[in-house]
Amino acid sequence: MKKILALGAALTLAAGLSACSVGDNNGGSTTQPSGSGAAAKKEITFLVFETDNLTPKFWDDNIKRVSEKVGVTVKKIVAPGDRTAYAKQLLASGQFPDVQIGLQDLPSFDGSGNLAEFSDEDLQPFLCPKCSAIKGRTVQLPANTQTWQVFYRKSLFEKAGISAPPKTYAELLADAEKLKGKGVQPFVIGGNPSWGSSLPWTGELTTDLYAGNPEWMHQRRDGKVKFDSPEFLKATKKFADLAAKGYLNKKDLGQSYDASQAAFLDGKGAMYPMGSWFAAASDASKVKDDIGIFAWPADDGSFHLPSFTGGGLTVNAKSPNVDIAKKFAVAWQTDKDYLDTSAVADALFPAIKGYTLPAKDGTVFKAVYDLYRQAVDQNATVPSFGWEQGDDGMIAGMPDKWNLSAQDIITGKKTPEEVLKYLDTEWDKSS
Amino acid sequence: MVSDVAARPRKPPVGSRTRHRPKRRIWPRVWHFLSFGAPGVLIYVCFVLVPIVVSFGYSLTNYNPFNPPTKFVGLRNYQLMLQDDTFLTSLKITTILTAIVVIVPNVVGLGIAVLLDRNGWLYNALRSVFFTPMVLSSVVISVIWTRMLQDDGPINDVLRAIGVQDPPGWLSDPDIALYSLATVLCWQMLGFCVVIYLAGLSGVPKELLEAASIDGAGPIRRFWQVTWPMLAPALTVNTVVLLISAFKIFDHVQVITQGGPGTGSTATIAFLAIQTAFVDNHQGYASAEAIAMLVVIAVLTTISLGVLRRREVNL
Repeated sequence: MKKILALGAALTLAAGLSACSVGDNNGGSTTQPSGSGAAAKKEITFLVFETDNLTPKFWDDNIKRVSEKVGVTVKKIVAPGDRTAYAKQLLASGQFPDVQIGLQDLPSFDGSGNLAEFSDEDLQPFLCPKCSAIKGRTVQLPANTQTWQVFYRKSLFEKAGISAPPKTYAELLADAEKLKGKGVQPFVIGGNPSWGSSLPWTGELTTDLYAGNPEWMHQRRDGKVKFDSPEFLKATKKFADLAAKGYLNKKDLGQSYDASQAAFLDGKGAMYPMGSWFAAASDASKVKDDIGIFAWPADDGSFHLPSFTGGGLTVNAKSPNVDIAKKFAVAWQTDKDYLDTSAVADALFPAIKGYTLPAKDGTVFKAVYDLYRQAVDQNATVPSFGWEQGDDGMIAGMPDKWNLSAQDIITGKKTPEEVLKYLDTEWDKSS
Repeated sequence: MVSDVAARPRKPPVGSRTRHRPKRRIWPRVWHFLSFGAPGVLIYVCFVLVPIVVSFGYSLTNYNPFNPPTKFVGLRNYQLMLQDDTFLTSLKITTILTAIVVIVPNVVGLGIAVLLDRNGWLYNALRSVFFTPMVLSSVVISVIWTRMLQDDGPINDVLRAIGVQDPPGWLSDPDIALYSLATVLCWQMLGFCVVIYLAGLSGVPKELLEAASIDGAGPIRRFWQVTWPMLAPALTVNTVVLLISAFKIFDHVQVITQGGPGTGSTATIAFLAIQTAFVDNHQGYASAEAIAMLVVIAVLTTISLGVLRRREVNL
C-alpha cells in the first residue's frame, strides 16, 4: 500500500512539475520521424483562417498538394477569430506557428525579430517584391492584390431613375437622395467586425487625402502630420454627412459581415462599399447579373482606386525549420492550382509574374479585375486607408480604434473633430 | 461492568512516559498528504497563484513582447490607468453591468423559485427549462442572442408586426447595447439563481410557516418574516457568484458586440485587458488592468460576504 501511495505521489509531482515548466519559445515546430529507420520528415505548423469563401476543404486540399510537393508535413491551425490577435497570443505563449497567412500589424511581429526575411531569390516570382516591406525588408510574401470599390444593385438604381453609376461625389449624393426618396436604403454596411463600418470613410480618404498625398501615413508615423488636419477633417465630415443624412443606416452596426453581405444580396440596400473579395460571393449569388461596380467618386470626378498588395505568407524566424518553412511559403504562393482556387474562392488577384487569371468573362470578378487594371494603367492606385501594411500602415492597435471611431461618427456619439482628437491621443499613447 | 474496566487502557506508570510512547510515524502522513492533497495544491499553485504573481510582476514593467527590452517601471502603469479615460470608461461600464446582473437575476430568480417551489412533473420540467441556459456555452448563447437582437432579427420582426415602426437598434445603438448585453447575461444566470433559491426554499421548516400561519400571518408576511430571512445563505451564494461572473465577463462581449458599437460602449475591463495585451501589444499595462480587476473583485466580494454573512449570523 505504501509503495502504491509513494508511486502515486511521485507521479503526481512529476506531472505537476512538468505542467509548470516553461515551454519552448521556438513555436510548435518539431521534427517527426516518418517511420522507423526512414529519414525524418519535418513538420511545420501553419496558421490559417476560415471564412465563407475560404472553407476547411479549400485549406486541406491546398495544404495536401503543396506539402507533398515540398516534402514536408503540415499541421493546420485555424484561428478562432481575429487571426492577428490569435497569432500574438500564440507568440506570447511560446507557440508561434512556423507559417502564417494574412498576418496584419507586421511591424509589431517583425520589431522583435519574429519574422523571417525573404531573399531576392525567394521574391523573384513576385510582381511587387517590396510591397508591404518594412524598412526595405520583405517579411510577408506580396502575393495578392486587393482593391476596394462600391458594388451596386442595377435594378435598385433603375427603380430610383438612375441610369449610370456616379462619376463625381455630387452625383453620388444625388443618387443616394433619389434612392432614399424611393424607400431604398442607399448604403449597406456592417458592424461586426468593426471594419465593415469604416469602408465609406476609406472611400472619402482615398479621394480627399491619399489622392493628394499618398505619403500621408509615413508622415503621420514621423509625427509630421496629425489626424486633426484640414484634409482629414474634410474627408471625415463628408463621411459624417452620409450618416447624418440617413444614407448610412446606423442600425446596420448591429449586423455581422455575413449579415451585411446577405442584406446587399437580398436587395436591402443599393450600394455596398467592400473589398474585391466580395466578387466571389457576388458571382456565387443568383443576382450576379444585377451587380455592378464603381470606384468611390472624387469631387472633381478624378479616378482613384484604393489597393493593397501583400497579405501572403509569413514565416517564424525562430522556427527550427525556418528554411523548409520558407520553401513551403514560396511554393504555396506560386502554386498555380492554389492561385486558381484562391482567385475563384476569394477573388484575389495573384501578384505573380506570368500568371493569368482563369477565364471568367461576364462575372463581377472580371469587372473588379478590369477596374483594377484600368487603375494600374492610369497610375490611379492609392493606398487603402485602414488596410495598409508594413511601413505604409498604422501603428499597432490603431486600425481597430479607427474602425470603432467610424461607428462613433455613424451613431453621432462623437463629432468628426472629437474623433480626430481621440485618434491623435490614442496614437500618441500607443507609440 | 467488569469487562468495561478491563477494556479501559491503563495509565502508564510515572517516569515511563517517554520510554513507552508509541513512535510517531511522520512519513505515512506525508505520503498521505502528497497523494491526496498534492494534485489539488499543485493545480492551484500552477494555474492560479503563479499566474497572479507573474501578472503582478509584469504589471510593474513596460512589457511588450514586440518591443524589447522590458524595463521595470514601478507603479507607473497603475498611475497611468487612473488617468486613462479608456480604462475609467470600461470600469464604469463593468460596474453598471455588474449591478444589473447582480440585482435582476436575484430578484426575478427569487420570484420564479417561489412559483416553482411545488411538487409535480410540470414544476420539475420548468426547473430544467430555467436551468438550461446555465449549462449552455456562453459562445452558443451569444451567437443565438446576436441573431435575435439584430435589426432584422425575430425580436424586431415581432415589434414591427405589432406596429412598432422604428424598433430599437439593440446592438447598434451605443445607448442601448450595454443593456442588451446585460439582458443576455441576466437570462443566462437566471437559472442558477432559481436553483439556488429552490434549494434554500426546501430548507425552510414547514413548522415555522405553519406556526406563523396559526399566529395570523398572511402569505406576504410569512414570506418576509419567515422565508426571506431563511434564504440568507442562498442570497449570499447568488450575490457573490453573480458579482464575480459579471465583473470578469469577456466572452459575451467578444461575440456579441466586440466592445462596440463605437469606442468603449460595451468594453468591459476583461475585454479591454485582452485588447490592450494582444491588439495594442502593451502587455505590462494590460497586466495592471487585470490586477486592478482582480483587486476590485476581491474587495467587492469581501464586502458582500461580510455584509451578507452578518445577516446570516443575525438570523
